[in-house]
Amino acid sequence: MAVCIAVIAKENYPLYIRSVPTQNELKFHYTVHTSLDVVEEKISAVGKSLGDQRELYLGLLYPTEDYKVYGYVTNSKVKFVIVVDSSNTSLRDNEIRSMFRKLHNSFTDVMCNPFHNPGDQIQSKAFDGIVSGMMVQTG
Amino acid sequence: MAQCVQSVQEFVQDSFVPMVAVLCSEEAERVTRKNNLNFAELLRPFCRLTSEGHMRDPNNQVQVVKNLRIFVNNVVTSPNRPPTALSHAQSKILNEVVLSCQPQEGVVNNVVTAGDYDLNFSATTPWFETYRENFLQSMPASDHEFLNHYLACLLVVSSTEAVPVEQFLKLSQEQHRIQHSGEYTNPKWFIPNTLKYYVLLHDMSEGDEQRADAVYEDMKQRYGSQGCYLLKMNTRSFSAEGDEQIPDPWSQYLQRNILHTQVRTASTPHFNPNGVSGSLESHPLQLDITSSSGSLHTLGAVKTELKKGARDPESLAGGAGSHGACLTLNDHDHIRQFIQEFTFRGLLPHIEKNIRQLNDQVKTLILKIWEMPPKHFCSCPEYPKTMTSSWYPPEAPELQIRKMADLCFLVQHYELAYSCYHTAKKDFLSDQAMLYAAGALEMAAVSAFLQAGAPRPYPAHYMDTAIQTYRDVCKNMVLAERCVLLNAEILKSQGKYSDAATLLIKMTSEDSDLRSALLLEQAAHCFINMRNPMVRKFAFHMILAGHRFSKAGQRRHALRCYCQAMQVYKERSWSLAEDHINFTIGRQSFTLRQPEKAVIAFRQILTNDSRQTATQQSAFLREYLYVYKVTTFTPDGLSLPQLPLPCIHCSATRVYFGHERRLAEGEKQAATHVSLDQEYDQDSADMWCHLEEQLVAAANRGIVPVNFQPTQCCLNSQTDNQRHPLAVVEEPIIVEVTFRNPLKVSLALSNLSLLWRFTADDAPPSKEKMTNELMTQKDDIVTTEVIQEFQMGPEETKMARLRLLPHRTGQLNVVGVVYNLAASSSGEMATFDVMVVHGKQDLMIQGPRLNQTKEDKMTVRHGHDQRLNFIVTSPMPLMEIFFLQFPTALLCGEIRKAYVEFCNVSSVALCGLRVVSTHPDFFSFGSQATTPLTPVSPTSAENNSAYKTLATPPQSGSAAFEMLVSAEDFSQPSGVIDIPIDGSTLQPGESTQLPLWLRGPDQEGVHEINFLFYYESTGKGNKISHRVLRHTVFICASRSLSVQASACRSCVPPHHSLGDKGGGGTLIFIDVENINMSEAGMREFHIVQVSSSSQHWRLHKCINPAKDKDCKLTSRERAKLCFRATRCKPQKGTPYRINKPYLSALFQYMIISSSTPCGDFFFRGCQTSESQRLDAPSSRTSCSSKSQSCVSTEDRSSDITNIVRKCNELDLNIIVIWKAYVVEDNKQLILEGQLHVALQTIGKEASSLTPREEAQEMVLLKFKSQLPPPVILPSAELSQLVKTSLHYPETYTHPFVQDSLCVVPVTLTLSNCSLAQVDVIIDLRHKGTSPETLEVHSSFTWVGQTQYKLQLKPQEVLCLTLQACFLQAGVYNLNTPRVFAKPAEQGAMCETSQQTASPSLIFINNA
Repeated sequence: MAVCIAVIAKENYPLYIRSVPTQNELKFHYTVHTSLDVVEEKISAVGKSLGDQRELYLGLLYPTEDYKVYGYVTNSKVKFVIVVDSSNTSLRDNEIRSMFRKLHNSFTDVMCNPFHNPGDQIQSKAFDGIVSGMMVQTG
Repeated sequence: MAQCVQSVQEFVQDSFVPMVAVLCSEEAERVTRKNNLNFAELLRPFCRLTSEGHMRDPNNQVQVVKNLRIFVNNVVTSPNRPPTALSHAQSKILNEVVLSCQPQEGVVNNVVTAGDYDLNFSATTPWFETYRENFLQSMPASDHEFLNHYLACLLVVSSTEAVPVEQFLKLSQEQHRIQHSGEYTNPKWFIPNTLKYYVLLHDMSEGDEQRADAVYEDMKQRYGSQGCYLLKMNTRSFSAEGDEQIPDPWSQYLQRNILHTQVRTASTPHFNPNGVSGSLESHPLQLDITSSSGSLHTLGAVKTELKKGARDPESLAGGAGSHGACLTLNDHDHIRQFIQEFTFRGLLPHIEKNIRQLNDQVKTLILKIWEMPPKHFCSCPEYPKTMTSSWYPPEAPELQIRKMADLCFLVQHYELAYSCYHTAKKDFLSDQAMLYAAGALEMAAVSAFLQAGAPRPYPAHYMDTAIQTYRDVCKNMVLAERCVLLNAEILKSQGKYSDAATLLIKMTSEDSDLRSALLLEQAAHCFINMRNPMVRKFAFHMILAGHRFSKAGQRRHALRCYCQAMQVYKERSWSLAEDHINFTIGRQSFTLRQPEKAVIAFRQILTNDSRQTATQQSAFLREYLYVYKVTTFTPDGLSLPQLPLPCIHCSATRVYFGHERRLAEGEKQAATHVSLDQEYDQDSADMWCHLEEQLVAAANRGIVPVNFQPTQCCLNSQTDNQRHPLAVVEEPIIVEVTFRNPLKVSLALSNLSLLWRFTADDAPPSKEKMTNELMTQKDDIVTTEVIQEFQMGPEETKMARLRLLPHRTGQLNVVGVVYNLAASSSGEMATFDVMVVHGKQDLMIQGPRLNQTKEDKMTVRHGHDQRLNFIVTSPMPLMEIFFLQFPTALLCGEIRKAYVEFCNVSSVALCGLRVVSTHPDFFSFGSQATTPLTPVSPTSAENNSAYKTLATPPQSGSAAFEMLVSAEDFSQPSGVIDIPIDGSTLQPGESTQLPLWLRGPDQEGVHEINFLFYYESTGKGNKISHRVLRHTVFICASRSLSVQASACRSCVPPHHSLGDKGGGGTLIFIDVENINMSEAGMREFHIVQVSSSSQHWRLHKCINPAKDKDCKLTSRERAKLCFRATRCKPQKGTPYRINKPYLSALFQYMIISSSTPCGDFFFRGCQTSESQRLDAPSSRTSCSSKSQSCVSTEDRSSDITNIVRKCNELDLNIIVIWKAYVVEDNKQLILEGQLHVALQTIGKEASSLTPREEAQEMVLLKFKSQLPPPVILPSAELSQLVKTSLHYPETYTHPFVQDSLCVVPVTLTLSNCSLAQVDVIIDLRHKGTSPETLEVHSSFTWVGQTQYKLQLKPQEVLCLTLQACFLQAGVYNLNTPRVFAKPAEQGAMCETSQQTASPSLIFINNA
């Protein structure tokens, strides 16, 4: 499962970042931030060829030594980034896809909350729960 | 990858140049040493050939050699095997090189804009280039390639030598020994028979030139003219220095040389044949480098030294003599010529010859190989996988090919080189000689790249394979690195930045931090140079590079990397990363002695709303405090440094002028005034301002001065702060500063005080302003209060109130706060360890944004905020007010007596005491006209009542006690009330007490009642004209009684009434109901007295049918009182008549309702209700009278209504005085109070309770002007113009037998109620409309005149005698006359209501 899950606003500032608590949080911040370059590259590449009919799932953004970074962009240019341990080979593309879908649904719920101010950090228990479910459980 | 100074081709070419060794005789060395150089160094600046050379390739084609560079070096021998990694010393040298090469301060950085990022960094990375150059030069020569093997050897002998030829021989033997004895593996030689070039060095200044020439001739004979050279130099004598400035081309090379030579010497200490580095030991740099290269201090020294050297070449070698001091420009040319001669005559032909030889060899070899391939191939599996350099014997054919390839490469014959490399590569690969293969691959790729007009694309995969092989198979990081450097540069030139970046990143490893750092930085530059710049990747790799730099001890580079990365992360709410970078920047800056930068960085961390954990933050804080303490201690003490924590919310600063007051003192309750604890409220501020305006107007005879400004005791962000606030000397100023602790750790502030600047009034303008910044207490000017301890919890917002007490007049500016900051120690933490720093923070208050003019709107401009710039003025009086026995809860209408005390607490007399209130009818100081001014002590009131009483007159209730008073006695022209104090001044320290009557508001609920007291100084000419004191009370009013009164005309004919000729009697009904909802405590109400007050009417005695002498009401009971009222003659000045028709029998006294509390409240109540009434219609007409068309009709009808209204007008006020018995705390209390009812019109009910204001109905907004509905004549009101009554005998006996007609006289009394002339028509004819009425009335008829037309004067009463004629006995209704009345000169007639009134029955009896 994931070691870090992040939601990035359209303006590329973090709305939500959570990583496995035992690991270096700062590293994940850097990783996620750096991955945005690839996300932007992919978005601009997709925009040219396919127009509106685009796939939200961006696939593997880039592999680092220890992690694989996957990306997903909503139509409102909110980015989801999931970082997975490289050693975790059991995860297939389809599973990542479904994780993103779940995340997106939950995110939509958060946005539908009339008390949520779009652009604020996400502070939702339900969302937290979904994310926790996707994270690696460490003892 | 950053931009380089060299082009790629140049760079690659220069990476591989022909190497030439130098062997010098000692004498020759001495000659060159004069110039502070050795021979190799002497040649170095001239090693690049400017002219083109030519040579023939094996196919006899002429090949042009352009821009060739050769590398001349001293022979340094070592027996060592070539290492696979750089030696320690070498890497140290590289480190120094990088360290010494720092970006220059003034270099213009280029700005890269990517997306919404603007990055500012230098595009060139000279440190990387220097590193690369040095790295490539320090490559150890290895066996698998020949590129950096020596091709030739210069043998240098001085002409001063006794027998130069012998020396040449010696040197030649020496060279031969080095190359062929097998003692030394280093240096390596390209070809067995190395080219030896004999150089005779002639020192012009000392030697014999002719002798030299002779020796040269001899040499020519011996070695051929192409194998020797006579170099004449040192033309200039050493002493003749200074008169000619000669450029120093050595300086830029020397730095490196020194380092290099050092490496060589360091690695080969045992062999130093020519004493190469002898004099170098004394070089100033060397000591630094070897002794303590890590120390920052010496680093600084090195840096400055280097800078100096770069700028001013002479000064570098100043101590040891400058370079080339004995050389003239001519000598430079000689050297240049020598190099050219050597290269073109000696070296190139030598290479050409060798290529030919090798070519021939190779051709035969290739054939050989092709003849016996099976043998070779079958033996392959036996070879070990990893090849070492010793695998091939030097004469192996594969190596010959390689050698030829290298030679071709060196002389820029890339095409041939490529094919050779290609062939060699194949051979090596088939032999599984991986190191050799990798080398061949690398060079094949490079030569393919360098081929002009390349017939084939650049084989990048060759490079990849080569790198991989070097790194993974051969574990030779040095070669791998070289390969990467070349490949990356080539890829960069082809725009393949992404590949280059990947390549560079892959090359980073744990073994060399410096290399990793440099490569990562280059990778970062690659990312930013991509077509779509990858800013974040750039930043990330910069951070990685910075990290590696710092690990490698390259602090400056690390700092630079972090700073550049910071631009990407800054203020984009990636706070965790931002904090990390800031922290690192802070630390690096600190260690680099850049405390300002460090402080700024740490300050950033602390002021940002970071998401760090508390422990992290406390670490940051401690670090910051430490850095701050160590670095920013300014011994000069001119000004204190700024502290970043805690945050000050400047605009929330509040300023309060005056003492902090005690709100209660025993029984006394002080006026609330203003305090810092109150929230600012715009509405209430407006209200107070309005009240003050009233006061000032009253004090200035009704005119508000132009420069009037409301007194502001408490300034905050919402108040008008455009003017300098006025403070009074010896009166404190309290400044409330809002601190916010953004951290999750608590802070401890101590010795917190305000920082001020003071300019005295009488001070000459030139005199410096006084300030308390420099720690010295200046209590004689301004006493500054110091808060010793001020703790702030995590993320707490806390206010600090700081006091100033000015002692002199002048201008006082508060400029900031000064305090000691420390991290809050948690309990047992030793106090001596706590870091405490002293600093200040400025208080800069920005005014509100201006929005008046166009410029204001276009730009962002802010007004002035003078909140903290006080003007201290001369002493002013100061009054304090206390209230005694002031209630908090009252019944509606309840009268209570309280006392108010005015104290002058200042040393200045005050006068002109006034008060104004939002509820003027709430209180009264009594009126001067009716009250003796002697203050009454609370206990001395008779009957314990607030009222003035008289003993009950004997004939209680029978005769109304009447009194005439004038309303002016009680009411004041405006709401402003002068406070009647003795002598109208209060001397310093004096105090006076006055009684104060209060009356509960008529409406229930909690009322906020505001008083504003006004006073001024007796002295004139103060900057402050007056002072005010506020007081706010909250009164909870609960219901008491509800009094409802109504009036109706009595039907009693006037002559029956008490002889009054007026408009007849009016009956007044008063309904009193106990509507007190409350508690058990309330027992009962007694109506004590009812008084009336009117200008025209008088209330007569009570005509209650019940004859109830004591009106007592328990809860929810209701009582009715009936009075008759009569009109009385108007008197001059229309004073109010006050009389008391009702007195309860229970109380043996009478309340003088015309005197102080009662009358005051009554008249004040009248005023307010009148003003309300005046307000209401005016507002209504203002909206309805828009349409002009119907003005005339409206006018006419309003005339009538006026008349009618007048006629119905009844201006009668009723005062009901009650007592209530309340049990409270087992004590019976008697409360008393009064309620007023104003009867305006007859028939309308009036109530003491003002009807609850109905919510204003929503009026539809109409845009079309609608015609007002046609005016309907108020017939109902008109019908009351004339009052009619019939007077006749109730029974009448008539003998019908005698006389069949019975005529009865009936008097019809008409009384005009109005004040206008009225036309009356009386019609006696039956006009029955319905058959029913016809039937009833048909039995009698009016006789005589049946129609009258009369005119009634105002208030006239007219009797008309009519005659009714009856035919038979019975009961008749005489009420048939129809009376029409209309005001004179009016069209419409109106029937009086007489018809509808009750029937007037007459009994006709038959006698």
